[in-house]
Amino acid sequence: MELFHLVLRNLLARPVRSFLTLLGVVIATTSMVLFLSFGEGLRRSLAQELSRVGPAIQIVPEGMEGLGFSGYPEITPEEYRRAVAAGKDLGVKRITPTLFLVRGGFDPQTSFFFQGLPEGVAPDLLYPGIKPQAGRLLPSEEGAIVGAKVAKRSQLALGNPLRLSPRVELRVEGILEESGGLADNLIFVPLKPLQEVLGTENYTALLVALNPGQKAEEVARALEARLPGLKAQTTGDVMRFAERALRISDLVRFGISLVALVVGGLLVANTVMMSVYERTREFGVMRALGAKRGFIFRLVVLEALLLASFGGLLGLALGSAVSQAINLYTLGQVGLALSAVTFRLSLFALLVALGLGLSAGLLPAYHASRIPVVEALGRV
Amino acid sequence: MMGAVRAENLGKRYRQGEKEVVALEGFTFAFPQGSTAVVGPSGSGKTTLLNLLAGFDLPTEGGVYLGEVALHRLSEDERAEVRLRHMGFVFQQWNLIPTLTAWENVAFPLFLAGLPPRARKERALDLLEKVGVLERAHHLPSRLSGGEQQRVALARALALDPPILFADEPTGNLDAESREQVASLLFHAGQERILVLVTHDLELAARAERILYLKGGRLVRQEVPGPSR
Ligand SMILES: Nc1ncnc2c1ncn2[C@@H]1O[C@H](COP(=O)(O)OP(=O)(O)O)[C@@H](O)[C@H]1O
Ligand SMILES: [Mg+2]
Repeated sequence: MELFHLVLRNLLARPVRSFLTLLGVVIATTSMVLFLSFGEGLRRSLAQELSRVGPAIQIVPEGMEGLGFSGYPEITPEEYRRAVAAGKDLGVKRITPTLFLVRGGFDPQTSFFFQGLPEGVAPDLLYPGIKPQAGRLLPSEEGAIVGAKVAKRSQLALGNPLRLSPRVELRVEGILEESGGLADNLIFVPLKPLQEVLGTENYTALLVALNPGQKAEEVARALEARLPGLKAQTTGDVMRFAERALRISDLVRFGISLVALVVGGLLVANTVMMSVYERTREFGVMRALGAKRGFIFRLVVLEALLLASFGGLLGLALGSAVSQAINLYTLGQVGLALSAVTFRLSLFALLVALGLGLSAGLLPAYHASRIPVVEALGRV
Repeated sequence: MMGAVRAENLGKRYRQGEKEVVALEGFTFAFPQGSTAVVGPSGSGKTTLLNLLAGFDLPTEGGVYLGEVALHRLSEDERAEVRLRHMGFVFQQWNLIPTLTAWENVAFPLFLAGLPPRARKERALDLLEKVGVLERAHHLPSRLSGGEQQRVALARALALDPPILFADEPTGNLDAESREQVASLLFHAGQERILVLVTHDLELAARAERILYLKGGRLVRQEVPGPSR
């Protein structure tokens, strides 16, 4: 019979009420864990993708930082030439112009992501290690190399036509092996037909490969200095940018889950308050027997903490399970694990649950420890 | 030890809106070793007196002394500590902790005093045996009869072997047989302690070594009953 034991006894003496309160905390924690797990999942897959993407530096138009997949190509051939010249001076290995085109709607299920490559450049230059499972790796002037997931999803086979516009049609010449990276979802085509479809000679981005020993940050700053209007971002820059965006979306998602958390907290507060009210005489007896006010205070706070931390643990477990289920689904659909319950997220969730319990318990506990002994004893 | 429990010019007034209720006034008495019953009609100030003697409440006049210690000058928590170490209590019914079994109720003061778990249980079962409810040790209070509950309460009051024992209508709601059991156990425990028994049951009071009569908050008479025990 320790303090913990006393608290547990009291909770078990009213099993239905305790269970319902616990359920409230579990639901609140689960929803918070899930909401926040999406941000963690995005962070994780972003880091993985970026580490798989070959080029150390991407040159994009100013204001297009981040992953400018869908932007209209704005880098002119003139800018490209200047970038190549600058690159030569700085001793970079290679500068590859590229262009992205999305066909289809917002639904990743039905959209096609095309990446344009200059003549003679195979996709393994940008995504090292990828191999064809059928056909070839280097597309001809009217050919396309299709990522494994796109091929599977749209049931593309060698020789199938891919229509980019009424006038431009390409043929599948190669299908890639699944790599687990971004390339699985892309279709690699020559730059020319893409530019033709968009009626431009511009590029979306210039991908800079470095020689061993070169520092990405330094080269990027030097390139920027020589290329007004363009931004040279390193993988680190992209991560930092994405991190900022993710932070904001974390806050938004935490804000949404705050509603559930507040409801959970109020449930705990209500339960503890009722239990304090019902036990006024009991507390009076304890005080009469020699319990100090701090003892009563701890007894009540611990009750709230116990409900909240146990509910928090269960919620975390449930949230992790649901997160796994979501990942199973999204991995099959878009090839990304959307949700991740990381260690720091788990820690955060437990701390929030504990904080919840503490704040829900403090007021009832203070109240309980302040009732005058005679008054408490007088109440039956 | 602490010697006697002394009340000096003890008084308690309650303010109820405009008017003042004098619950106790000018009460002076030194409770010696042995049993002292405090009797009087309902509303005569018995419970008020006990509340002040036990330090549950503070007097508006006078003071309570345990030997050299002025109880009414101590803080709330200091008074709790004094109660834990030096006083035992048996109230009217409903004074057991409902979520704890009989033996755990008895062990509660031992827990507060910081005894190790094993010692607590041993002592609790020992005490339950002494008051004759050992076979109910693992029952919750709600499963015990009124008489059994009061015997458990008495065992709990004796847990830390306190020199002072307070009882407020301990036999209030009991049938004749239970009343007899609880009363004899109580007076037995009171022999080598300072027992203050508050009751309006004159038959019970007659078994004490001294009787104090309260009326309208004042001590009106003391007597030592004849040898009719
Ligand atoms: N908290 C209180 N507020 C106002 N009056 C009280 C309070 N407690 C007791 N009294 C009054 O004090 C008097 C003595 O009460 P009490 O000590 O309970 O008497 P007894 O125990 O002898 O029946 C009564 O008139 C009662 O109404
Ligand atoms: Mg009374």
